[in-house]
Amino acid sequence: MWRLSTLGSNLVQTVQISNVFKLSLDPQTVKQWKRFRSIKRGYYSAVILVSLLLLSCFAELLVNSRAIIVSYEGKWYFPTYAWFISGDTFGLDYDWETNYRELRQHFKEQKEGNWVLMPLVPYNPFETEGTTVGATPPSWETKHFLGTDGVGRDILARLVYGFRIAMGFSLVLLVFSYVAGIAIGCAMGYWGGAFDLVFQRLIEIWNTIPFLYVIMIVASIVETNFWILVFVMVLFGWTAMTWNMRTSTYKEKAREYVNAARALGSGNARVIGVHILPNTISVIVTFIPFSIAGGITALTALDYLGFGLRPPTPSWGAQLREGTQSFDHPWIVWSVATAIILILLMVTFIGEAIREAFDPKKFTYYE
Amino acid sequence: MKRVNLLIKIYCVFFLVWSLAAQDEANTEVEAEAADDTWYEIAPEDLLPDELPEDLYWETNNEDPEYASPDAVQGGTFHMWMRSFPDTLRPVGPNSNGSFASVLRPLQMGPVALHANTRQPIPMIATHWALGDDGRSFYFRIHPDARWSDGERVTADDFVFTLRFMRSKKILDPWYNNYYTERVTDVKKYDELTYGVRAADAKPYIEMLNATSIRPYPEHFHELSDDWVREFSWKAEPTTGAYHVSVVEKGKYVELARTENWWANELQYLRNRFNPEKIRITVLGDMNTAWLHFLAGELDSFGLTIPEFWHDKTDDEAFKKGYIAKYWYYHRLPVPAAGLSINTAMPLLDDKNIRYGLAHSMNIQWVIDTELRGDYERLPTFQLGFGAYDNTSIKPRQFDHKKAKEYFEKAGFVDRDRYGIRVKKNKRGRVVARLSFSITYGRQVDTDQLVLLKEEAKKAGVELKLDLMDWTASFAKMQEKKHQIAWLTWNSSGLSPRYWEFFHSVNANKTDNNNVTNTSIPEMDPLIMKFRASTNLEERINLAHTLEQMVHDHGAIIPTYQVPYTRQAMWRWIELPDRLGTETSGSLANPFASSQGYSSGGLFWINEDKKKEILAMKAKGEAMEPLTIIDRTYRIEPDESKDVQEGQ
Repeated sequence: MWRLSTLGSNLVQTVQISNVFKLSLDPQTVKQWKRFRSIKRGYYSAVILVSLLLLSCFAELLVNSRAIIVSYEGKWYFPTYAWFISGDTFGLDYDWETNYRELRQHFKEQKEGNWVLMPLVPYNPFETEGTTVGATPPSWETKHFLGTDGVGRDILARLVYGFRIAMGFSLVLLVFSYVAGIAIGCAMGYWGGAFDLVFQRLIEIWNTIPFLYVIMIVASIVETNFWILVFVMVLFGWTAMTWNMRTSTYKEKAREYVNAARALGSGNARVIGVHILPNTISVIVTFIPFSIAGGITALTALDYLGFGLRPPTPSWGAQLREGTQSFDHPWIVWSVATAIILILLMVTFIGEAIREAFDPKKFTYYE
Repeated sequence: MKRVNLLIKIYCVFFLVWSLAAQDEANTEVEAEAADDTWYEIAPEDLLPDELPEDLYWETNNEDPEYASPDAVQGGTFHMWMRSFPDTLRPVGPNSNGSFASVLRPLQMGPVALHANTRQPIPMIATHWALGDDGRSFYFRIHPDARWSDGERVTADDFVFTLRFMRSKKILDPWYNNYYTERVTDVKKYDELTYGVRAADAKPYIEMLNATSIRPYPEHFHELSDDWVREFSWKAEPTTGAYHVSVVEKGKYVELARTENWWANELQYLRNRFNPEKIRITVLGDMNTAWLHFLAGELDSFGLTIPEFWHDKTDDEAFKKGYIAKYWYYHRLPVPAAGLSINTAMPLLDDKNIRYGLAHSMNIQWVIDTELRGDYERLPTFQLGFGAYDNTSIKPRQFDHKKAKEYFEKAGFVDRDRYGIRVKKNKRGRVVARLSFSITYGRQVDTDQLVLLKEEAKKAGVELKLDLMDWTASFAKMQEKKHQIAWLTWNSSGLSPRYWEFFHSVNANKTDNNNVTNTSIPEMDPLIMKFRASTNLEERINLAHTLEQMVHDHGAIIPTYQVPYTRQAMWRWIELPDRLGTETSGSLANPFASSQGYSSGGLFWINEDKKKEILAMKAKGEAMEPLTIIDRTYRIEPDESKDVQEGQ
């Protein structure tokens, strides 16, 4: 009975999902989704991580030295995404970017009805505070909730923006290396023969090039930036996906439905794109979370070694290095270590859940 | 079968070619051996006369005050540390230029040295010296008692051998090969204890003497075989100085012992110096480990120049209870020329207004006050610390956004863009240039300081992009003149500032030289050449003042900071003379004879009774009055009286 009822409620949910998103989902996908949801650890990790990612897209509104709203002499200003506003606009005596924290204090003292709405964390990840010498411990009073680093920058701000960059980096990396890896892997599996053989050998040779040395050399010759790093990482990262895609394509190619499609006159592109690829999607999807974790770790490691993004880009790796160089300021290393562990743990939980959800053994029975 | 045949044929051909090539190599080796003393050619006018010139005016110096303490007591072992074990004990050849060279080199004395306070020449191995009438040779008379640490006499033959040795290809040291043919052209023996040295160019007296005062190499010790580099790698050379290498425990420590009945024990400027009986230098991986050993009393002194060490790490029982004293001692050695070098060949940076504006946008004082805890000092000029050569009337351009604005507006940068960076617009209001420059640098540790500069520069409307590269790659970029602004420190040494290599136009816009600012000022060139050629001290000093002012007016270098002092922690059983050190003491606990040509080391001594006493107190936990000494005697106070107009 109990079994039946859960099944029933799940069915209702499925309908709801389909209604809300106006999607006609394939029953297999619905089953996988349900299975994924039932693995609580993975599901909640996904919810948290996706919300963090969405929030970080609007980090400028939450963690920023620019005010969200300034009301000055009856006029409203929204500096967050706008052109820089110099101090003299608000009656201050300088022509560079307004210090909104000071402005807020100033308005409060003036009591002329002007006000400033600051973000939750009123610091940006680059600014160094003139009054402090070295790192300061976490404090609610100064709103440095996780303290400051060696040059007086807010650690929370650097963590948030560092997270956005690390996630962005691994997503971009993922897309590029998967496109290349899947295309070549599919082609190898589909055509097989000499093409497969040659590419296999080429990839084997390519894989023996020590990737870290290449990064070190590149970093020492050119000014590395986000896109150069992505390029180098894709250059050496696409091969991982080819092996799996090759195997699954081989497997799918031998199935009757492919033969049937061919018999009906479908071309290579159609057979691969419409018939084979959708059937290998479970392989791809299960790898995604681990690739994301890999991307974050790679960037952090490179930054830690000093071959990653240029300073002063907010970076977890650079902060980890600063923190481990001297343990006199434990909050620097604690905060970033906790952040890395949490994020990687969540990604791994999601990966686990996806793998479980897509496991074909749950739904097929071989006799 | 065919294939196998082919393979065998290919193999045969290869073998033949290889063996021929190998033979060729062997032949060239034989030739090289024969050519060991004929590979160079010295023009006849660069050689010394065959007979000792008769009209020489022999000089010596025994009028200057001694600076060692008569209270010094000999004995004890002085403990020091090093990061890694040396690769070799050879003074020259492969791997000989590592950090251990700073221990080995001062074990040897030259014929003369410079007095640590008066900076006048004082006798060492030589008793007398005389300048030749060509202005570029010096003649020396060796002290009749001078002995190597193994008891052999020091004679003119050792100096002649030095030239042969340094020119030999067998030492595998092209730098010395070159120096002793290009810069030192001849050494000649006139009798057992008299010899002469000739250098390539004439210089002022003191610098000439310094250049010709080359140390001797023991002829009886070195055998210049083909295998010299390997054979002599771990053989400790006999020395003429107070210490010689006595024990080498590979990977662990090197011990130096004071030579018994050292020949110079009673020499005027050397008595009461080099007091410890032994010096042990132990390998301790890194600074933090070494610090713990120091606190445990296993090292006698420790450098505290780094602000973190002086301020934070000394917050320890051993300091509070007074067992260890802290010294902050100002000296007057040349300070490293640290600064931002602006490449004047780059667009925008060729405009003097922009360079001045940049100088006023750099909040260097703030970096000093925060990151460096206010311990370092603003460097007013590019080159400093050369005594009378210093132009003390120049004041550095301070961080001042009003002045920066003025200069930038003069250059046409009136507006700011959406990020607050100044831009230049054409008549139609379109942005044609933006004040954004990258700073090339090569050391990760400097990032924090540059981050502070970057944030402050934004206020003046300047964007600085940090271009951190691997050290070698960053220097290569600067040498290729591809940088915009270089964060660079030149080590200073020698007795006078150098201008030709940094500012002469022959080096501008060409790769691989030190003119990284691409400075090319027609009025400056003749003055630089005059400065180089002049042997008149007063004229040189005046020229140096003018040149330094021109460098300042050109604005291609923004000098940053200097550390005109040494800071040290020493256990209280280390005793110092009343004056602590000398004008040229780069360290108070330097047990060796000289640094930077000045005979300033070896003034302290170990008080063994006090050591027992302090260790007993430490065991019982008793305290005494803590001791911190800040000595500003030789501090160069900024000249407040003259207010020179900045800029124009």
